[in-house]
Amino acid sequence: MKRSTVTQALKQLVCIGMVLVVLAPIVLTLFAAFKTKADMVNTSPLLLPPMERITMENFQKVLGDKYLLVGFKNTGIILVVSIFFNVIFGTITAFILERFEFRMKKVILALFFLGMLIPSFVTEIARFKIINGLGLYNTLGAPIVIYVASDLMQLYIYRQFISTIPRSLDESALLDGCSYFGLFGRIILPLLAPATATVIIIKAITIINDMYIPYLYMPKNKLRTLTTFLMNFANAQQGSWQKLAAGIIVIMLPTIVIYVFFQKYILAGVAAGAVKE
Amino acid sequence: MKSLERQKRIFIAVSLAVPMILLVGFIMVPAFDLFRMSLTDWDGYSESWNWIWLENYISMMKNENLWLSLKNNAVYFFGHLLFIPIELLFAVLLTSKLRAAKFYKTMVFMPYIINGVAISYAFSYFFSPINGAFDAILGMFHLEALIQNWLSDPKLVNFVLTAVSLWRFSGYHVILFMAALQSLPQDVQEAAQVDGADTWQLFRYIQIPSIMLMVDFVLFDNIRGALQVFDIPYVMTSGGPGYASSTFTLYTIDTAFKYSNFGLASTMAVAIMAMIVIIYLVQNKIIHGLVLRRDRA
Repeated sequence: MKRSTVTQALKQLVCIGMVLVVLAPIVLTLFAAFKTKADMVNTSPLLLPPMERITMENFQKVLGDKYLLVGFKNTGIILVVSIFFNVIFGTITAFILERFEFRMKKVILALFFLGMLIPSFVTEIARFKIINGLGLYNTLGAPIVIYVASDLMQLYIYRQFISTIPRSLDESALLDGCSYFGLFGRIILPLLAPATATVIIIKAITIINDMYIPYLYMPKNKLRTLTTFLMNFANAQQGSWQKLAAGIIVIMLPTIVIYVFFQKYILAGVAAGAVKE
Repeated sequence: MKSLERQKRIFIAVSLAVPMILLVGFIMVPAFDLFRMSLTDWDGYSESWNWIWLENYISMMKNENLWLSLKNNAVYFFGHLLFIPIELLFAVLLTSKLRAAKFYKTMVFMPYIINGVAISYAFSYFFSPINGAFDAILGMFHLEALIQNWLSDPKLVNFVLTAVSLWRFSGYHVILFMAALQSLPQDVQEAAQVDGADTWQLFRYIQIPSIMLMVDFVLFDNIRGALQVFDIPYVMTSGGPGYASSTFTLYTIDTAFKYSNFGLASTMAVAIMAMIVIIYLVQNKIIHGLVLRRDRA
């Protein structure tokens, strides 16, 4: 009995240490966001300033920036459109690859697998020309097309989920006169809802956090996303950490909120995406 | 029956058309185009370019800063490699009997979902030389003597950035290991415990072998991730001072979009792709084979 108490205490200690390491950079940034310029020097970076000197001016500065709203709007549009197509194409592709035998299936499977293996960042060097040629440079179309085409993790999640749906369901639906499109649209797609929840949330976090695609393809001010807003904001606040700190906190919040509320789906999907056949 | 077969074919063709066009048009064609461009001197905007065949490959091999960048990638790789045992221990810890385990699980994964750019700026502040929090923490323990220029000392900076990468990505691996552990059948573990196996033996002889597949995946993820490190150094140091914290991907991207040498950048991109594919194949054939053989023995 005694030994297990000691073990439990030790475990708690290790875990609390981990929590401190995780929270330190975030909480200390939050502290800085509440400080005036003078307090950045006068109070320890590890402490909040005295109650009466806590200031909201840094947050006001960020929230008052007209491009923050632009960033929210653009990120929102990109999210909705690309996730919609990700779900449609992801479910139907996974359904076909999991359930049907057809000519060229091996080739198509190999292509999708290769597509997942090809590193994304460096591919932009060649993709840039294609996006440009399609007239998508400096439009919201660029990130949308790239997000829909390139990140294929949803295929893992959907294929795994579809393999748990009994095949007899397909057969009886088809016998009852359901068309293939009907089978997919009315039976399979609704059954995939839990997997879709996972895909939506994981995609949303990936897209909100992505810096590189919007940075590369949408330099226009009006096309800032949340992340590129922060980069511009940071450049403008050179050396004024307290203001940048407020910007950091504001940009971090959306994904943290999503995470706290939808954790279950995220953790389920992250593991599913990794367990390959 | 025949019409059903036809229907099926139409369904497959119609449904796969757009996903295939996207896959080919935006992943396969660019990937092959990288090969072609790697043999040219294209600058990214001119109408004309020349075939220079292997010249880019030769100048890539001779590029010292690129090798330095690749060495920096290696630091990320070894850092994450050394962390695998720690990640495993946390996974075991968090799946064991533990009060507030759910809260700890939330915390351990949180860095992974936080905006990478935002956290990179937060760490720039954390390690800043003037009123930086990390120096203040050292001061709290009277370790002022250890204070360094964390982000501007060429000898140190890459290790500091690797630490940021560990902060950000380790939780992902902990969650993966936890998922693997939780998929273990409970009765085997209980049987072992009844037979008198202690925690360590349970870990060593039952849990570890059964999660080797996940270790395999994490290993590959480490290699792929280490080769593609980009946003942490890009935001925190732009690869500097000099090339002290540059990485292969960062150098490649700069070569293309900053120095307009798309030919050479494509060559580097081909090199990254080749490395990833080769490592994947080697790992699948050799390491995987070894693990499976040992399991059978």
